[in-house]
Amino acid sequence: MKNEFLFNKNLAHDSGIKHVSGLAEYTDDISEPLDTLYGAIGWSKKAHAKIKKINLDKVKKSEGVVSVVTYSDIPGRNDVGPVFDGDPIFPKTKVEYFGQPLFAVAAKSVEQARKAVLKAKIYYHELKPIITINEALKKNNLLFKPRIIQKGNPTQKISKSKNKIKGNFTTGSQEHFYLEGQVALVIPREDDSFLVYSSTQHPSETQQILAKMLKKKSNSIDVLVRRIGGGFGGKETNFITSAICCLLSFKTKKPIKLRLDRDDDIIITGKRHDFFSDYEVGFDDHGRINGLKIKLASRCGMSPDLSLAINERALLHLDNAYFLKDIEVTNYLCKTNTASSTAFRGFGGNQGMMAIENILDNISRYLKKDPADVRKINFYGKKNRNVTHYGMKIKDNVINELFEDLKDKSNYKKRVNKIKQFNKINRFKKKGIAITPVKFGISFTTIHLNQAGALVHIYTDGSIHMNHGGIEMGQGTHTKIAQLVSNSLGVPYEKIKISATNTSKVPNTSASAASSTTDLNGAATLNAVSRIKSNLSNFIKKKYKIYSKIEPIYKSGNIYFGNRVFNFDQIIKEAYLNRISLSSSGFYSTPKINFNKKIFKGRPFYYFCYGAAVTEVTIDTLTGENVLERVDILQDAGNAINPALEHGQIEGGFVQGQGWLTMEEVIWGNDGKIKTFSPSTYKIPAVTDIPKIFNVEIYKKGLNVEKVVNKAKTTGEPPLMLAMSVFFAIKDAISSISNYKKIPDLDAPATAEKILLSIKKIKNII
Amino acid sequence: MVSDTIQFIYNNRILKIKNPNPNQTILDFIRSDLKKTGTKEGCAEGGCGACTIVIGELKNQKLIYKSINSCISFLPIINGKHLILIENLNSDNKLHPIQEAMVKYHGSQCGFCTPGFVMSLFAMYKNFSKFNDEIIDETLSGNLCRCTGYRPIIDAAKSLNYKNNIDHFKKNEKQIIKLLKRIKDIDIEISYKDKKYFAPKTLSSLKKILKKNSNTKFLSGGTDLSLEVTKQRGDIKNMISLNSIKELQFIKKTKNFIEIGSGVSLYEFQNIIKSYYPDFYNILKRYGSVQIRNVGTLAGNIATASPIGDSLPLLLSLDSLLRIKTSKLIKTIPLNEFFLSYRKTKLKKGELLYSVQIPINRQSYFKAYKISKRFDDDISSVCASFNFSIKKNIILKANVAYGGMSEIPRRASTIEKALTNSTFSEDTFLKAQKLISKDFSPIDDMRASKNYREDVAKNLIMKFFYEVSSKENLGVS
Repeated sequence: MKNEFLFNKNLAHDSGIKHVSGLAEYTDDISEPLDTLYGAIGWSKKAHAKIKKINLDKVKKSEGVVSVVTYSDIPGRNDVGPVFDGDPIFPKTKVEYFGQPLFAVAAKSVEQARKAVLKAKIYYHELKPIITINEALKKNNLLFKPRIIQKGNPTQKISKSKNKIKGNFTTGSQEHFYLEGQVALVIPREDDSFLVYSSTQHPSETQQILAKMLKKKSNSIDVLVRRIGGGFGGKETNFITSAICCLLSFKTKKPIKLRLDRDDDIIITGKRHDFFSDYEVGFDDHGRINGLKIKLASRCGMSPDLSLAINERALLHLDNAYFLKDIEVTNYLCKTNTASSTAFRGFGGNQGMMAIENILDNISRYLKKDPADVRKINFYGKKNRNVTHYGMKIKDNVINELFEDLKDKSNYKKRVNKIKQFNKINRFKKKGIAITPVKFGISFTTIHLNQAGALVHIYTDGSIHMNHGGIEMGQGTHTKIAQLVSNSLGVPYEKIKISATNTSKVPNTSASAASSTTDLNGAATLNAVSRIKSNLSNFIKKKYKIYSKIEPIYKSGNIYFGNRVFNFDQIIKEAYLNRISLSSSGFYSTPKINFNKKIFKGRPFYYFCYGAAVTEVTIDTLTGENVLERVDILQDAGNAINPALEHGQIEGGFVQGQGWLTMEEVIWGNDGKIKTFSPSTYKIPAVTDIPKIFNVEIYKKGLNVEKVVNKAKTTGEPPLMLAMSVFFAIKDAISSISNYKKIPDLDAPATAEKILLSIKKIKNII
Repeated sequence: MVSDTIQFIYNNRILKIKNPNPNQTILDFIRSDLKKTGTKEGCAEGGCGACTIVIGELKNQKLIYKSINSCISFLPIINGKHLILIENLNSDNKLHPIQEAMVKYHGSQCGFCTPGFVMSLFAMYKNFSKFNDEIIDETLSGNLCRCTGYRPIIDAAKSLNYKNNIDHFKKNEKQIIKLLKRIKDIDIEISYKDKKYFAPKTLSSLKKILKKNSNTKFLSGGTDLSLEVTKQRGDIKNMISLNSIKELQFIKKTKNFIEIGSGVSLYEFQNIIKSYYPDFYNILKRYGSVQIRNVGTLAGNIATASPIGDSLPLLLSLDSLLRIKTSKLIKTIPLNEFFLSYRKTKLKKGELLYSVQIPINRQSYFKAYKISKRFDDDISSVCASFNFSIKKNIILKANVAYGGMSEIPRRASTIEKALTNSTFSEDTFLKAQKLISKDFSPIDDMRASKNYREDVAKNLIMKFFYEVSSKENLGVS
């Protein structure tokens, strides 16, 4: 039963009109104080080297340069690592990746600053760089000791299995390619404090890291973020831009703007982790997995950053939607001389899921069964087979019915046969189809991060000011939370003013990440609203002598106590005159969750999101080119607050995932130089890459069984994984060349080149 | 008459700038000087479309609108034009129909790419009356969005079919034309510090400029040249814009060839070549984006001599001729002899590419293939072009040209030899494709490996054969 109170309106994004008019203000658009200087970063041209000497004489003399900073200008912590050290702002003695910042300048114009940094003379003593996962594994160059997790007895189960296969699989890196690059504007203020505008998903940590860098207290740094032009995880811990900007401001005592151009942005900042897996699996004749042993290794780059949490999420999602009782995982965090790999939508979960999906795909091809059937037989059950490999009982499983529903809706069975016919007739064009499920766990797996704060004011004219710790990065969190507030107070949405996320309004916030922004901050905001409502109720009851225990209803601009009606605006005025507080902070912490990282056991997730996608592709076997003919998606968004915005997340997430698994390829040379650092060499999907037919539906029966705001389910990260179906549809098409007798050897991303190579292998040409 | 002041229309007024910095981009001018921040920088190389603006200009007494990348366009090129920014689209506080549609269909998420999309759609809205899928895809192929997955933007574009296309620009047209006509059509000569910029109106003024200034660079579309400033952080001291020279803006059609003046934009050219060689048109539609093709020229593509310039293998296979203007005369040479080595051509200092002649032979079999990581707006890893005469199943002429296979785009002479005078059969082609390594030894780079380039180059020979013999399109797109 859906509560009539619930609010499901397809309102446009709160900034929609401003976006289309060019009036939405991003950090680079804020009007600068007159004496603002502009920054640029000078970075390492070697991937691994001792720094012999840095000569900045010519830089200092370059036209317009006002100041230069190096590590010796940092009064406090020379590191921006969020959890562990390892990410120096400027390294003292050794560079560990091509693009690592070494110094920065402030100049009178952007152009002067950028020209000046090119004039540095840096003398290196080169060391051999380690670039790939393979090299790191061979040399045992790891960030942490390998971690082994064992549940049940996989060795025995595999040896007793009738069928066994072994193999390995790689998924590639991915550049975030947010359209707005990293940028900060720092303005020094009295008392040695700083106002920081930054394009970040994490204002609170920006505040802490900048304070530590300057050896100041956190209260001397205020961070403000009205909106960011895309984040996708790439602005969760990339504090290097704001830190350097703030350091320049500290040294010059001037406002500084530092905006990385696109090349610097891609060269300096970290990307998605590539993952390599090596597995052995035993299964029965139906394809049901008996036991699995798998090694998972990831390219972490030169420092830990968030790699531990990302790898943990990979391990936690190795099951995707499948019951894996007997399993052994060994996890390697490879240290490489590349920019530190970082958060990216999916946060390791998607890499873990691709590993298991590839295994299931191979099992079904080995048994010559429809992969959909093999996937299904491995699904978690409702009453039994419902405990994850980390010991969490799943209570909200809808994957079986959702998967079936989508198979029907998309005509999967019929199309499989039609495609087989097509492939018989056509010599060069081949079609493929795949259906893949998604189960994605929601919550930060670092339990203490699952908290949020908010601040709500009602002014005497009845207008409302709303603030919370979430960052608006396109997902529409402000819009959805304003909808919740409007619904809770029974006032028009237009009365609610959305304001910039601000560390001085809401302290100690978590990053806008882990798909949890609206869940957490929405609940905290509603908590603030309910406190104000409670003040109002008490006031009305006392003043108007209402003694019954009846709960007031806020609706249509009125407050109803049974048949007594009070006008909202009027009551606000009265409350003010009677000295009633009309402002409150709010707080929320996610209940029920716990996770013992040491023994890898507990309930790390408050709930799961479910979804599935069917993709049909055609490939050109002469060139490897491919096209998405049709995609059908069914995604559980619970009782969505704003279905239109969820649709946007689902489609956008899918296309981003499609890019990750098909055309997006980050390429490093053997010397560690990144070769793909601009849109001319790094290709994200463009307009004609999207499916020719694109049917996206929100699962109508969806309802969150937990007490999440509006009983909704997030759509932040999960839709990215729907694109797994693209990869396996391509594999299906390649397999057809062998009349479905062979298992294609294909790694992600499935570029035209990799597809053609896989075709050659299946034809035994190589 | 020469002027040191550029003039253009902005907000229904003529703006004049005396001796502007010719290395300043229009984007920088908009954001730093006009203080309009709706137009964004996404990449500073014309590869993402966030900086898209629209330029209005008079052509045959009619206003036409071109979307361009302001991040790689130098400021002086807006002389004599109407500058239209995202901030100019709404009027009387009312959204433009495009803006309305984008909001209604949820076409923005983070919103950073949105102004660029709106401007691309605005140019489409002004230039077409109906917007089908092909037009919409072409319009948007130079704009990247990382949030939406494009579907809502496409829906917004489609919805424009049902809108009245009278906007405030239409209502204001006469006034704009009047203002544009008020800007005198004369040579421009700018001095800014140590930099000079010339925009002559005639070849004779050009000749005079060249005599006095030896170290100059020609600016045509500038989509390559501008990167010296926006990416390499260099300065371009002396530039001569060829865009205002009317004598280079011609298209000549005869029975045997079409001749394209070097001032003709790729966008204009694509619509000319369409009826002669549809495959040429199909490849051109994937050449950069509309924003790039609106300013870029065929001649520019030839003169920059990129190993992967996408029109080059096509022109090579068609036996195109170049007409080169020296200080004294116009000489004609085959394109096949023009490229010397990596980015080096036969063009000498002071010489100018005048036009390109493309032979027309409606009996020939012409096909072209472009292989790239992404379909739209990508640089090819391999581009192949075939131009054959076949009579009574005998191959009389076999022109085979490739881009991306060596340091210059080149004909595959060994393969051509093997095919010529052979029967048009699978066997002939299977034998010929094996010779690819005799003609080319491609490199490994971030776009493709050597092996892939060789494999695809071979397969494309076969694809040409299979497509011609079956009369079917065997590709996926």
